[in-house]
Amino acid sequence: MAGLSLQHIWKKYPNGYVAVKDFNLEIADKEFIIFVGPSGCGKSTTLRMVAGLEDISEGTLKIGDRVVNDVESKDRDIAMVFQNYALYPHMTIYDNMAFALKLKNTPKDEIDKAVREAARILELEKVLDRRPSQLSGGQRQRVAMGRAIVRNPQVFLMDEPLSNLDAKLRVQMRAEIAKLHDRLGATIIYVTHDQTEAMTLGTRIVVMKDGIMQQVDSPTNLYNKPNNLFVAGFIGSPQMNFFEADFDGANLVASGVKFEIPAEKASVLKEKGYTGKKVVAGVRPENVYDSSKEALCKLTAPFSAKVTVFELLGSEVQLYFDFAGASMSAKVGQDSRAAVGDTVSFAFDEDKIHVFDKETEQAIVH
Amino acid sequence: MKSQNERRRTFLCISIPILLLFFGFNTLPLIKGFIYSFTNFRGYGSYDWVGWRNYVDLFTDSRVGNSYWFTFKLAIVATILINVVSLIMALALNAKIKFKSFFRGVYFIPNILGALVVGYIFSYIFTYILPAITHAASMLADRNWAWVAIVIVCAWQSVAMSTLIYISGLQTVPEDVYEAASLDGATGWKLFRHITFPLIMPFVTINTVLCMKNSLMVFDQIMALTKGGPAQSTESISFLIYNNGMNGGQFGFQSANAVIFFIVIVVISVLQLKFLNKREEQL
Ligand SMILES: Nc1ncnc2c1ncn2[C@@H]1O[C@H](COP(=O)(O)OP(=O)(O)O)[C@@H](O)[C@H]1O
Ligand SMILES: [Mg+2]
Repeated sequence: MAGLSLQHIWKKYPNGYVAVKDFNLEIADKEFIIFVGPSGCGKSTTLRMVAGLEDISEGTLKIGDRVVNDVESKDRDIAMVFQNYALYPHMTIYDNMAFALKLKNTPKDEIDKAVREAARILELEKVLDRRPSQLSGGQRQRVAMGRAIVRNPQVFLMDEPLSNLDAKLRVQMRAEIAKLHDRLGATIIYVTHDQTEAMTLGTRIVVMKDGIMQQVDSPTNLYNKPNNLFVAGFIGSPQMNFFEADFDGANLVASGVKFEIPAEKASVLKEKGYTGKKVVAGVRPENVYDSSKEALCKLTAPFSAKVTVFELLGSEVQLYFDFAGASMSAKVGQDSRAAVGDTVSFAFDEDKIHVFDKETEQAIVH
Repeated sequence: MKSQNERRRTFLCISIPILLLFFGFNTLPLIKGFIYSFTNFRGYGSYDWVGWRNYVDLFTDSRVGNSYWFTFKLAIVATILINVVSLIMALALNAKIKFKSFFRGVYFIPNILGALVVGYIFSYIFTYILPAITHAASMLADRNWAWVAIVIVCAWQSVAMSTLIYISGLQTVPEDVYEAASLDGATGWKLFRHITFPLIMPFVTINTVLCMKNSLMVFDQIMALTKGGPAQSTESISFLIYNNGMNGGQFGFQSANAVIFFIVIVVISVLQLKFLNKREEQL
C-alpha cells in the first residue's frame, strides 16, 4: 500500500478543453478518499490520470515515492473498478479475476488461492464458472471488485462503481465497500456524483466543480463549515436555503425581518467590513423551525410564510415556502399540522446561520 | 377485418412478382440443371437419359479432380491470406491515426470495382509491368505460379470487404474493457490474443465463411487472367463448369458437376459455421 501525491495537476484535452485545473492533493496510505461533484466536473478525468489512462498535461503524480507521470498503467500497481464494470465478456468469472495474475505468470496455486479468497469475501464462490452475462448487476459489480482485490494493488480506483445498481443494492454495497476498506487496509480513491454516498463512505472528501477543487475536508466539516456557496449547496440533502440579507452591524436583515446573529459572528463580519453591505445567508432545512413549537436551540425572530409544498418523508415533514425572494424549505416534526396554503411562522437556529460573500461566494462565518 | 384483408393484399402484391421472378430465373434453372445432370445433353440437339452415369464419371475424371484441387488450394490459401491481412489492416485503421476516414475510403475502392476490371488490370501488371521489372517471364505463363497470381488478385479485392467487417467488429469491443485489460497488464500482442481476438470471434466466423464461399466460386478473375491456363493449371470448378458445359459439349456432365459442387459448398459452409460457432465465445 502507498500514499499518493497529486501536485499541480492539469488536464487539457486535445480539443482544448481544460477539464482539471491545478489539482493539489496529498493522499495518505490506507486513506479512503472521495472525489465528489456534479457530472462533468472532472472527477473521472482526474481518476483516469491517476490510472494512467489519460496523459497528465501538467503537474506531478507520485504513487508512494515514485513519480509515475510517464509510467504505463500496468506498471503503476493500481486496480480500477469501472462504472460499467468492464468485465471480460468471454471469460468466466474465475478467469476474469485471475487474468491479471496469469499475465504476470503467477504460479497456478497462488492464483487459485487469491481468486477463491476474493470470491469468498464477495460471495461469488457459486458463480465462478459462469460468464458475466449470466450474472445480475450486483454480482457483476462484485466481480469487478474481486478483479481489483485479487491483484492486491497499492491503490484502488473506483469510478462511480455503484451508480448502475438499484437504490437498495447501492446502500448494501456501500456498506460492503466500507467494510472492505477496513479489511484490506487499502488506499482507495472513490469517485461519485452522489453526495450521500460521499458523506457516508469517505474519511476525507474532495468536492470539485468545473475542474477546480472546492474543498477538501472531513464529511462533518463539509457539512458544518462549507468553504463557499457551491459546497454549501451541494453537500446536504435537501439543499441548504439561501437568501440575500443586509448586514446592519449586528443583525442580518431580509424582507424587513431582523435576524440576530451571535455577537462573535457579527464582530467578524464587522471586522471584515461588511457593515451596510449585502451578504448571502444560508440555513439548512433542519435548522429552520416552526416557531410555535418548542425548540432546544436559540431561535431568531420569527417570520411568516405561506406553505407551497408539503412532503411527508416518513419520520419528518418537509415544508416549502417562499421568503425574501427565494424558495426555501424546512424540515419539521411529523406532528406538523401545516397544510399547503397555510401561513406558518418560521424561525432559524441562530447559531446555524452561515454567511457568504455575495461577490466571491466564499464563506465569511459559520 | 378489412385492414387485415388489405394487409394481406399488399403482402401478396409485393411477394408474388418476386416469387415468380425468383422461381423463373433461379429455381427453374436449378431444377432443369438437376434434370439435365442425368442426361448426356451436349447443349444442343437430342439427348438420352444416362441415369447416374455422369455422377460416377465425375469421380474418375482427372480434369474435374484437377479443378477441385486447384479451387480448394486457392480458397484455403486466399481465405487465410485475406483474413490475416484484413485483420491487420482493420487494427491499423481502427487505431488513433490521422486521416482515418480517408484511408478507410481508399482501402475500400477495390471492392467497388468489378472483378473483371480488377482482373484485367492485374493481367496487364503481370504480363507487362512485373516482367519488365523482374526480367522474368510472366507469372501467368508459368503453370507452377499462375495460381499464386490468382490468389493475389482475389485477396487484393476481398481484403476491402473483410477489413470493413473487421473494423465494425473492433468497434463492438467496449473501450473500458480495453482499459481494464491494460491495467491488468495486457498490452500489445497479449491484449490482442486475450481480449481483442476472442471478442471479435463472431466476425472472424463471418469473414472466414464468406471468403471461403467466394473463393470457392472464383470465376471472373480466372476469366480475366488465365482462362484456366496454362495447361489447365488454373481451372476452377466454376470455370470448368462454364467452359466445358457451354462450349465443350458437356452440358449434362457439367450439370452433374454443378449439383455436386452446390452440395459441397453448402456442406462446407454449414460445417464451418458449426465449428467456428463453437469456438465463438458466448458473449
Ligand atoms: N476525451 C475528451 N475530450 C474532450 N473533453 C472531454 C473528454 N473526456 C471528458 N471531457 C470533458 O471533460 C469534462 C470532465 O469530464 P469527466 O472527468 O468525465 O467528468 P465527471 O466528473 O462527470 O467524471 C467534461 O466536461 C467532459 O465533457
Ligand atoms: Mg465520470
